[in-house]
Amino acid sequence: MKLKLIYPRWQKLKGQTTFNLPPHGPVAFAATLPEEVEVSFTDENVEEIDFDEACDLVAISMMLSTQARRGWEIAARFRERGKQVIFGGIATMLHAEETLAHADSIFLGESEGRMEQVLEDWRRGALKKVYNYMARQPAIELVGPARRELYKRALYNHKGVQMVDLFHASRGCRFSCYPCAVSYLGGRVFRPRPMERVVEELATIENNRLFVVDNSLAQNKEWEKQLFREMIPFKKKWISHTIEDDPEILDLAARAGAWYVYQAIYDTSDYIKERVKRYHDHGIGVEGTILLGLDNQTEDDIKRLIDFLLEIDLDLAEFTIMTPFPHTKGYDDLLRENRIFDFDWDHYNAGQVVFHPKHMSANRLQELYDHAWESFYRDESQESKMFRLFCKVALREMNEGTYRARDRRLANRSFGKEVVRKNSVNEIKIS
Amino acid sequence: MKVPEKYYDEIFEFKGAWDVPSKCGLKIIDKGERKVVIVTELYQDNPGTSVTRAGRSLAEQACAAKGVDLASALYLECNPDTRSKLSFYDEEYFEVTFGGGTPSYRLLSPGEVKELLS
Repeated sequence: MKLKLIYPRWQKLKGQTTFNLPPHGPVAFAATLPEEVEVSFTDENVEEIDFDEACDLVAISMMLSTQARRGWEIAARFRERGKQVIFGGIATMLHAEETLAHADSIFLGESEGRMEQVLEDWRRGALKKVYNYMARQPAIELVGPARRELYKRALYNHKGVQMVDLFHASRGCRFSCYPCAVSYLGGRVFRPRPMERVVEELATIENNRLFVVDNSLAQNKEWEKQLFREMIPFKKKWISHTIEDDPEILDLAARAGAWYVYQAIYDTSDYIKERVKRYHDHGIGVEGTILLGLDNQTEDDIKRLIDFLLEIDLDLAEFTIMTPFPHTKGYDDLLRENRIFDFDWDHYNAGQVVFHPKHMSANRLQELYDHAWESFYRDESQESKMFRLFCKVALREMNEGTYRARDRRLANRSFGKEVVRKNSVNEIKIS
Repeated sequence: MKVPEKYYDEIFEFKGAWDVPSKCGLKIIDKGERKVVIVTELYQDNPGTSVTRAGRSLAEQACAAKGVDLASALYLECNPDTRSKLSFYDEEYFEVTFGGGTPSYRLLSPGEVKELLS
């Protein structure tokens, strides 16, 4: 049988540098399919969907709330053609009830060890409306290497530079943070993959740059140390979320190839300042992630936070607006207070205000968000700061003999599209 | 973020969204003419759906298990004080009314809470 696997497009945020990374969810799902299933994968963010492509069943994998409506539209077009459509992925779990109305079937939970039965049901013409594995996570040992051979590599390349590959060493999260739905999605128990399986997968990845997408690496110190020790021989460079604030672990992370981390910057304390410094002392870059619009932030607090960011030598900053995603405490609180005014999931992109903030108007928060981006990147653009980070990793790779020159054949292409250079180098358009 | 035991008389196990096993704190106060049902969010000790997300389903499960008439009861959701530095985790009580559609919520004043719990 042939399964058409689709990752719907979403609207990128205005004014921000857009990079299309190869999505992890679809290829992790594909790894759970029986061997005899032929998979044709389309990431709509980088290529068009051929709705007339021959296939037996359509699977739509959605990660973001902003993919949901597009996913439903795609399903409608395939269903018009008589194809059955099954949905899965994080956003399917967050928006399960609504997605059900657009699907022949939805799969909730993790698919390892479950797809044989789903496909057998489909063959018998008895596909269930809901496959509910929300409370029954499969044994973590079953998580195998993602099927990265499904990627069309040239589509994840910007002017000859290959984008990072996504990789995960664990699932679940022991934390339950206010704006986050991970505890609902992956369970509140940290589930590390067996180290031999992590190593096995790392060995299959050709790319020398990774994004370790685990929710947080700071879940268990001993596990984290072991992970980094195992990663050292691969000589890959990688991005991740938070790393434990421990000198031994930071040292191991650096030796294992930590390139830069996403670190939440939530106040203007000396602790944050020192935290950033400690990463830098170990040669690890920091992209601050700053959430704006929480109930404990006044307009002055946000302005002070922006000033603080300029003082603490962050390599990059990413501002997001508090967004009440379903199944978070943030959603519950704002719903109870009747403060959510927009339930259009296309607007749940963390760059658009969809609720009434406590200490300012929604419009004012939107202005402060724009002001934050403009202020942080006023003296040096996001592209320029990114380029500096890129140069740092390239130099490290050159010193270690792992640097790979960019692919000159793709120098005039960006994510599959031709880069049209006009008269000046500053006038580059992507067609 | 352990929830202090003063907030509940028992841990109530319920079926959350998509039947996910879930837990909340439960306290029922008999006010004579009216029963007060208080469900408390347990955060890290709740493996499943929040009390707010579970909404009417939890109210029905709790009242059925305890033989309380939901229609005549005062049903409250409690965000317990977890001594967090973050204000999102301060104590709050909401009166929940289940109409035909989505539930409606009313934040109780500290005075009302004191009177109810006394």
